[in-house]
Amino acid sequence: MFDTKVFWNSFILSILVLLFVYVLVDTLVFRKRSKRTDKQNKLINGLIGLWISILFGLLVDLISLYGVVQTIADKILAFSVLSLATTGIVLIFKTSITTNFAQGIVATFGVFFAANVVTRFSNSGLTGLQLALIGMAAGAVVSFLMGLFIDVAIIRKSKYITSVGKQMITMGLVLVISGLIPVIYGIPTLSVPRLSYGDAIQIPFQGTFVSITPHALYAFVIAIVLLALLFSALRFTKWGLGVRATASNETVAGMMGVNTRLITALSWAIAGALGGVAAYLIAEGGSLSVGMMTATQVNGFMAGILGGFSGFLGPIVGSFLIPVLSALFFYVSFLWSNALVYGIILLIILAKPLGLFGKKIAKKV
Amino acid sequence: MDPRTLLATRRKNQWRSITNHPYFGFILIGALLLSVQLLQNIGVDIPTSIMRAFGLTMIYIIIGLGFAILLGYAGLASLGTAGFVGIGTYALGYLTNQSGLSIGLIVVLSILGAVVIGAIVGFISLRIEGMYLAIITLGLSEILNEIFKNAVPITNGTNGLEMQQLVLFGKYMTISKETVFTALAVILVIMILFTYNIIKSPTGRAMLAMKNSESAAQAMGVSVLCYRLLAFMIATVFALIGGILYMAYINFTIPTTWSLAFSLNLLAAVIVGGSRSIWGIVMGSFMIFGLDLAVFQRIVLTPDRNEAIARFIAQFPEHTENMTRFFNSLQGLLPIATYIFNGVLIILVVMFYPGGLYQLFLTIKQKVVQGIKKIKHDWMVKRYGQDA
Repeated sequence: MFDTKVFWNSFILSILVLLFVYVLVDTLVFRKRSKRTDKQNKLINGLIGLWISILFGLLVDLISLYGVVQTIADKILAFSVLSLATTGIVLIFKTSITTNFAQGIVATFGVFFAANVVTRFSNSGLTGLQLALIGMAAGAVVSFLMGLFIDVAIIRKSKYITSVGKQMITMGLVLVISGLIPVIYGIPTLSVPRLSYGDAIQIPFQGTFVSITPHALYAFVIAIVLLALLFSALRFTKWGLGVRATASNETVAGMMGVNTRLITALSWAIAGALGGVAAYLIAEGGSLSVGMMTATQVNGFMAGILGGFSGFLGPIVGSFLIPVLSALFFYVSFLWSNALVYGIILLIILAKPLGLFGKKIAKKV
Repeated sequence: MDPRTLLATRRKNQWRSITNHPYFGFILIGALLLSVQLLQNIGVDIPTSIMRAFGLTMIYIIIGLGFAILLGYAGLASLGTAGFVGIGTYALGYLTNQSGLSIGLIVVLSILGAVVIGAIVGFISLRIEGMYLAIITLGLSEILNEIFKNAVPITNGTNGLEMQQLVLFGKYMTISKETVFTALAVILVIMILFTYNIIKSPTGRAMLAMKNSESAAQAMGVSVLCYRLLAFMIATVFALIGGILYMAYINFTIPTTWSLAFSLNLLAAVIVGGSRSIWGIVMGSFMIFGLDLAVFQRIVLTPDRNEAIARFIAQFPEHTENMTRFFNSLQGLLPIATYIFNGVLIILVVMFYPGGLYQLFLTIKQKVVQGIKKIKHDWMVKRYGQDA
């Protein structure tokens, strides 16, 4: 259907040309240094930015602009879900310096509870949207409490804990909670309703129409509102200041009178709640399963790595690029689209080990 | 002195020098595993599933040893092991089915391949550190899993690859599970001794130094580049050998086995046992994999298939239906029990015993020795009176 040969040739050529430019500038202009200088970093940033735009240009050339826009519209839901999940992971990474593997399973636990709540309220004369929002809120609250419980009862109580140790604890939690879900909620299939069952919305574009499902649009709005709230809280409230202080140095923050334990506990709880909302949105009216968040979890880590764990905006860019690129590569090679995206992330990480927007954190020896 | 007593003391000392030798325990465990096979050969009825559990656990111990060098000694967390083990299984399966290469040659080729892969991942690890590395290796593992699923001409896709016969001495042969089991026990002991020698050598100490403080290690003249590459190469070689053994033993491989869950279980086994000791790995593997394979997967609670429970239910004729349903649902929850058990074990170990089960074992041993000493002392006091 599509002529992928041209795409592949230009794809490989673009990487080679940019590598060549880098080597040329690096050896002739900057000279080799043992540590990377600011100029080199800027060069790498520029080249990677150029390459990503070349990539999108090639894809537009291959699929046509309409196809690319439609693909992005299709992936709006995935982007919303992934950005919520990734923000939760990054929040915990900032305050506890650990990668939380239990994020997805805590969210799944919450959405199972939400399904039960929705079933209970289903005959009370609420509209579909109200019912769904109540369910989502219930799921978020349960995930919030669960996140709080994990930090207060497990992470805080453990002696001699390291960040790898915390990681191990969250992996153990994945096993425990995925065992507990069938015990608590039983085997029967549950499902949560979509936010809206209306027809797809048609937006005129270049003479044709780009269609978006209303569920995805609602999900996008919810994600934007939640993230905006979170970011303004991080920017303007005392809690946000505490998070930033704890992230930069926990001991000193504690000495300066920041209640680091409360900050950390709240971060775990809020991350749980964000995950709960994400899990509700991704269920999309289908039946729930214990492993429903696994792919989102892995992609969330990848998005965090791609964008850099040191900021909050980078991971969101990452969580936009991953689903969109993997959907676009589907046209190039439908078998290898995921592997291609992971490969590209690997290449970018090799060029910029701290992610696209990562900043180096100075470490004392 | 009486020559007879002299001889007796000498014999005793000789025996003690054998039991105190560091290799003694490792060879003993190999001999124990071999004796399981021997018992089956002479006619003791050991179920096939138990034998399979032992065989698989041995393979997992081998993979875990390589992983322990990486995690416990070099301090590099990797979640990509599953992918590398998968490569081993497919290498043996594909090369044997298609080209008829001898298994020895395949092992040599795989080791060469593993060294190359390990070097590549090692180079990646030079630029990326800590938890970033875990996630990047996870991504690598996902890529490998996609390859296993999609490279149908080599891997036969999601249907899994089957291998009926091995090539030994240039001929296709069907090798019984018993022979492979024996070989596994021997290879396990060799691998354990190899690991022991690595971690007790300057290499192991250099890796440990690098784990504790990279800057201090560099200042002492330890080349981070060299030892990181080495650690990854060793781990990859162990993983590939594990994969080859898995294929030789099970004769079947499928992409879903080599997913993230396998890497996490392996990590759990290494952490639960104690990542810095060989005995810890052995204990942890038996705890996480062996217990599941040999105990949890074999418990049958449904009254149709378990006579004891059927008899028990028959004692309450008025509740038969309810109790049958209860036991049937319990059976359904059993695989879940494994999950919860493993999870709780991991959490408890990390919370209270970061050294793992091996450390717990040492603590208990110390307590017991102290207790015995105290009892002995009390008895002496009772018999001969208090010291003046």
